[in-house]
Amino acid sequence: MSSTRRGNHHHHHQSPMASTLRPYLTCIRNTLDAAMCLQNFPCQEVERHNKPEVELKSSPELLLNPVLICRNEAEKCLIETSINSLRISLKVKQADELENILTKKFLRFLSMRAEAFQVLRRKPVQGYDISFLITNYHCEEMQKHKLIDFIDIDKEISELKMSVNTRGRLVATEFLKQFI
Amino acid sequence: MAVTAVHQLAQCITCHAWSADRSMVALCPNNSEVHIYRLVEDKWEKVHVLQKHDQIISGIDWGARSNKIVTASHDRNSYVWNLERSEWVPTLVILRLNRAALCVQWSPKENKFAVGSGAKTVCICYYEQENNWWVSKLIRKRHDSSVTSVSWHPDNILVASTSTDGKCRIFSTFIKGVDARDPKKESRFGELIVQLDLSSSWTFGVKWSPSGNTLAYVGHNSVIYFVDDVGPSPLAQNVVFRDLPLRDVLFVSEKMVIGVGYDCIPMVFAADERGIWSFIRYLGERKAVSSGSRYGSQFSEAFGKFYGQAKLGVSNDAVETSRTRGVVHENCINSIIPLSRQGTQIRRFSTSGLDGKIVMWDLETEQDLLELLVH
Repeated sequence: MSSTRRGNHHHHHQSPMASTLRPYLTCIRNTLDAAMCLQNFPCQEVERHNKPEVELKSSPELLLNPVLICRNEAEKCLIETSINSLRISLKVKQADELENILTKKFLRFLSMRAEAFQVLRRKPVQGYDISFLITNYHCEEMQKHKLIDFIDIDKEISELKMSVNTRGRLVATEFLKQFI
Repeated sequence: MAVTAVHQLAQCITCHAWSADRSMVALCPNNSEVHIYRLVEDKWEKVHVLQKHDQIISGIDWGARSNKIVTASHDRNSYVWNLERSEWVPTLVILRLNRAALCVQWSPKENKFAVGSGAKTVCICYYEQENNWWVSKLIRKRHDSSVTSVSWHPDNILVASTSTDGKCRIFSTFIKGVDARDPKKESRFGELIVQLDLSSSWTFGVKWSPSGNTLAYVGHNSVIYFVDDVGPSPLAQNVVFRDLPLRDVLFVSEKMVIGVGYDCIPMVFAADERGIWSFIRYLGERKAVSSGSRYGSQFSEAFGKFYGQAKLGVSNDAVETSRTRGVVHENCINSIIPLSRQGTQIRRFSTSGLDGKIVMWDLETEQDLLELLVH
């Protein structure tokens, strides 16, 4: 897993939104499956410490090359991996004012779910809207496929649809349609 | 079916080791304790809890001859445990490490043990009769990163070690007064015999073949390395596979290796008449790839074909496949331990992993593999 991968622009003869979403999500899932091969690993620099190496970056050899998956210029996913932890950062499309508000709602919803799973990173990585931190401890407690399901944007959005209020529903439905 | 038993003994297991007669198993349930279970009738009962370490135990080995248990922990210590009447009595071994101990193994004669550490060193411990304690001798030459696994050559002198620096190093651990001198194979303690720089990623799980002629270890880049004639001009082969990386391996004969890791299902590798190693098959049921992908197989396929990614391959539902394989382990397998030996062959072994299960395997039912074993 050493190269930057881009999943975009190749199905422009079909409806643009729907056709780039599937490969984008599949690419994210497959990359995550490989990146989530984590293990308990004590810190080499400080005795008796055990910290997420993707955050600490104490030893360069414990980090793998980051993978950037771009759906288009405005939407991308960065996966940074180390021996005991990984970070997934998402940048979500925000074309106009209304979409901005909805995106904020969506991100807030995701954040709450992430907190329940204890995978939310308090501050998103620079240049991204939201970041998750997954460590070996999460992998030990949960089965990997359940963790990946959580990161599954599709499912999150369907559930978000329920929480959008009546007034914005029409606009919201149009906006959300592009993710289905 | 190669699986003979599945025992859910904890929520998550770090490592395990068997008593000589296989009636008892010692395991670390992902904390600072060792739990010893005994098979009573057909149920496993927890008979002992060894509490002395104050951080997670990274390695346990149970000497078949001496009946001594050695443990290594992230707390930088090792203990040697002796069964006195019905109590396991610990003896602290001062390793002189300033970082975590990551792996431990008794030498074949059980008069020494090797510990790999986060201090990037390997230390060799031996028993000093006069002072009635275990002395630790540090191998001066360091790896460039943490030592992830250690394995003894059958000669009780050579030790192989892997590291997160991607290399495998073989050292001599000859100790005057402990080891007999062999004029044909003279070496000094700590002498680096061979340094193998074959992997671009972290290496784990090093093991020697029964004769000591071949070495096997794995790289995190989904490769397994086989090295023959370990010495000044070794013969190395690497077998790349498309699945998730391995964590540990076991030589079940001179010509067959079982690998276990993140795919949760053991992989069988074997050498043919020419000595060329290759992947044979998985151990256990592997169901066909489901076409009812929730992401729409047409898009996944198109994407996969466009990028020609060998890793994504035919099955783009990489996650789905390991889920639908009917796997026994539900999470990463990190240890594989022999259960029984017939000459130099191991037909029964056990695996443990993050799902807290210990699974017992028997190759007796795998006719195609038995033929390759006796090769």
